Amino acid sequence: MRYDPPFHRTNGLRPAVAILAILIGLPFVVVDPYTRHLLVLSFIFATVAASWDLSLGFGGLFNFAHGALFAVGLYTFALTVKFLGLSPWLAIALGGIAAMAAAALIALPVLRLDGIYVILVTIAVAQLLYQVTVSQSKWTGGTSGIVSLPALRIAGYSFIRDGKIGYYYAALLLLVMATAFLYLLIRSSLGRAIVGLRDHKYFAIARGVSEARTRLLTLVASALFTGMAGAFYGSYVRVASPDVFGLGFLTLILSILLVGGVATLWGPIASAFVMTFLSEAIVSLGPWREIIMGVVIVLVVSFYPGGLWAAIQELRERLDVLRTGVMAAWRRRTERAARIARMGGAEEVMMQTPHGAIAVSDTGGNKPPILFLHGNSACKEAFAKQFAALRDEFRLVAFDLPGHGVSDNGDPETSYNVIAYAEVAEAVIAARGLHRPVVFGWSLGGYVGLELAARARAPLAGLAICGTSPLAVVPDDFAAGYDASSHLILASKQYFTRAEAAAYAGSATAPRSAESLYLHHNLPRTDGRARAYMMTKLPVVNWPRQMRMLREGKLPFAIIDGADDPFLNHNYLLELCRSAGWSHPLINIPKGKHAPFFNTPEAFDTVFVAFCRRALAAAEEREPAAATRSARPQP
Amino acid sequence: MDLPTLISILQSGLALGVLYALMAFGLAIVWTTLGIFNFAHGAFIAAGAYLAWQFGNAAAFGLGYWAGAVLAVAAMFVIGAVVQLLLVRPFERHRDIVLLTVITTLAGATIITNLLNVIWGPRMKQIEPALDGEIVFGLVHMRSQEAVMIAVVAVTLFALGWFLLRTPLGRSMRAVAQNREAAQLMGLDVRLLYALTFGLAAAVAGLAGVFIGSIRFMSPTMGDDPLQKALVVVILGGVARFTSSVYAAFAVGIIEAFSTYFVGLYWTPAVLFGLMILVLIVKPEGLFGRRQRSV
Repeated sequence: MRYDPPFHRTNGLRPAVAILAILIGLPFVVVDPYTRHLLVLSFIFATVAASWDLSLGFGGLFNFAHGALFAVGLYTFALTVKFLGLSPWLAIALGGIAAMAAAALIALPVLRLDGIYVILVTIAVAQLLYQVTVSQSKWTGGTSGIVSLPALRIAGYSFIRDGKIGYYYAALLLLVMATAFLYLLIRSSLGRAIVGLRDHKYFAIARGVSEARTRLLTLVASALFTGMAGAFYGSYVRVASPDVFGLGFLTLILSILLVGGVATLWGPIASAFVMTFLSEAIVSLGPWREIIMGVVIVLVVSFYPGGLWAAIQELRERLDVLRTGVMAAWRRRTERAARIARMGGAEEVMMQTPHGAIAVSDTGGNKPPILFLHGNSACKEAFAKQFAALRDEFRLVAFDLPGHGVSDNGDPETSYNVIAYAEVAEAVIAARGLHRPVVFGWSLGGYVGLELAARARAPLAGLAICGTSPLAVVPDDFAAGYDASSHLILASKQYFTRAEAAAYAGSATAPRSAESLYLHHNLPRTDGRARAYMMTKLPVVNWPRQMRMLREGKLPFAIIDGADDPFLNHNYLLELCRSAGWSHPLINIPKGKHAPFFNTPEAFDTVFVAFCRRALAAAEEREPAAATRSARPQP
Repeated sequence: MDLPTLISILQSGLALGVLYALMAFGLAIVWTTLGIFNFAHGAFIAAGAYLAWQFGNAAAFGLGYWAGAVLAVAAMFVIGAVVQLLLVRPFERHRDIVLLTVITTLAGATIITNLLNVIWGPRMKQIEPALDGEIVFGLVHMRSQEAVMIAVVAVTLFALGWFLLRTPLGRSMRAVAQNREAAQLMGLDVRLLYALTFGLAAAVAGLAGVFIGSIRFMSPTMGDDPLQKALVVVILGGVARFTSSVYAAFAVGIIEAFSTYFVGLYWTPAVLFGLMILVLIVKPEGLFGRRQRSV
């Protein structure tokens, strides 16, 4: 299963375009050549650090000769322009190629080694290259390097003029090209192989990933823009000095990478600016600067290993939680009348539960109760058609799950999982005094219903689920119970783009229309953490207990699905219902989609009402309601 | 090549070898015991030299060569244990301990080196040797300081060997190196032993620093070159046994002496690193090592 929208259809597009626009416009504001110089250095270091991230972060290959690859680019540039008289532009391209060749050489010993040995051999290779460079002082100028390299120029216009503006844009172009290259590479099949080898080497190999080939390609790909950056650096500072072989340069790039966040493409790029300017700001402190940088590295690694990128993500999450929280509070007050009207005049009350304030719709009255549980990123108003059609015969109750509709946002660690949702349902049943309700669970709500029934703390008359595949083994059955589609990825995706929100609401309930507009309007309010945590916390549920409960068959149970539900694996459900010890009906509503109660309400209601009557009658037979109901005080 | 040249090459190889054995010991014992590579090892060597200068030199505390050396070694033991506490222990059970400690010890090396620079300044210093003059023994001409060094290192290495092989504490260290979990189940205090190992490594590095400081000039970055040499030695020897890096140290010393004579000073480091890469490709566990679980 793969869900990979192109970059221009992801959430990253807008911030990336905005930052690029700022960087393009910046030289018009920043005219001071020194600041521009720092920006050019930031671009170069960002290119090198992001490239290193490919091998070190994504690949888990500790290539400590990365600084040497930069040096190879630098010296290739210096030697070819100085002694062969090559055009500097051509020499920059050649720098990239030479670095790739060097990376291929480094890969040879690395192919056979693991862990600490990779670090040691790459350090040795870097030292070897350094020693060779320094020993050939006739060509390389030894420890003093090659000086007075030519500057870049186009048609006689030197890039140094006008406050280095040419270099600024050339460096920016280099960074953009490197970023695009790495972005595409990481998302390609090669990128997946690289990450797969890092995370689970033997599994990846068993799936046909060639370790040697992938390692070679990783190192070579990480060298391309590193070498070009080295050559560009040579054309910019116009000196090729062997300092770049040393541990000092390596530590600088490593600190950029770590402070930015390992295995995140954008983190090192962002931190290149922070670290370059930070280290320049304290340059007057002399040796203390190095000490401060060292302490910063240790502190980041010890206490905030996610780095800058994790901090950005945290900030983004806080902003999003604030947005959804304000949205819920606002809608709770302003759209109340519209919601009550939509639910056929059912009363809406807020009640406190251990998982925050929950909004409940209740038609009330002394009739047999039905409790509706809505699905992922939906709201209680998804059942508006049932509230209108069935209210004469039944007492209908629905509530918004934590983080959904107009309920409060919950604590992600404790409130956004199937067990917590079942606890909320129990609290609603108790608080509204629902005696032995029939529970209808849709999609995620279906799992909540199953968990509610399996817990058996609140007695139920019956349970019907819709768009839910009962699971015994997670995650295996989860993969088997659904048709792999992007919908499943979206179900656990924290932040939706507009297109994704429309696609998700459209496929889960109905495409945008006048009738379904309110469901599309509701979706962006859902706390994104509810999706992400619900999925990651699937394993905490006692799934076999649910299946045991179904096989025991004491509780009237039915599966009422849309025959055209695009997400269910209908064969899985058929197999389940045909298996030994299964006594419950599987009802498919013709032409019904994932939400048949919304798409084909008449057909659904007929089947559903019949089930409810049967379940209630059976419950009445087991235990006459009149006797128990009078024994319990009505709240 | 005549006999005196050969003898002088061997003699210089021997002198280098004892120094390298001393440098590599700490690196190797930390690697076998804690499973990490300590990049601050070179900075330990430099710190040991500066401390010995501070304690012993007439311009500073003036306690004399030997008192300075002993105090420096003792101080390095404490510093090593502290560095382990701050830079290594937080990541002890981490999945990426190898990379994380490479990073933190690199940062630690930067911090120590620059602290030396802040405290003692970048100007070159030298520890006054314990003895001046030359010893002549047949065809062998040797600076007295060099002879003292060889003698002290030989005693130190034998003492370390005895410590690791015969004393309960040394055996505990080796037990932890072989199998951390089993050692812990036997009631050994693994965390304390890790700190002691790091301290011991730093103390021996400090002693190496004292000797380097008395035969060459001292600067805050004086540990960079010994660190690289120690790296070559440890890779070449492997870390299976305490003795394997000692053998490798003498091998490297003698190879270096011959290489300097035949291919020149400039190419010698390249020869050593080329040799190291070759060994890593052909026999990653080292020339004297046994095949072991991948790290």
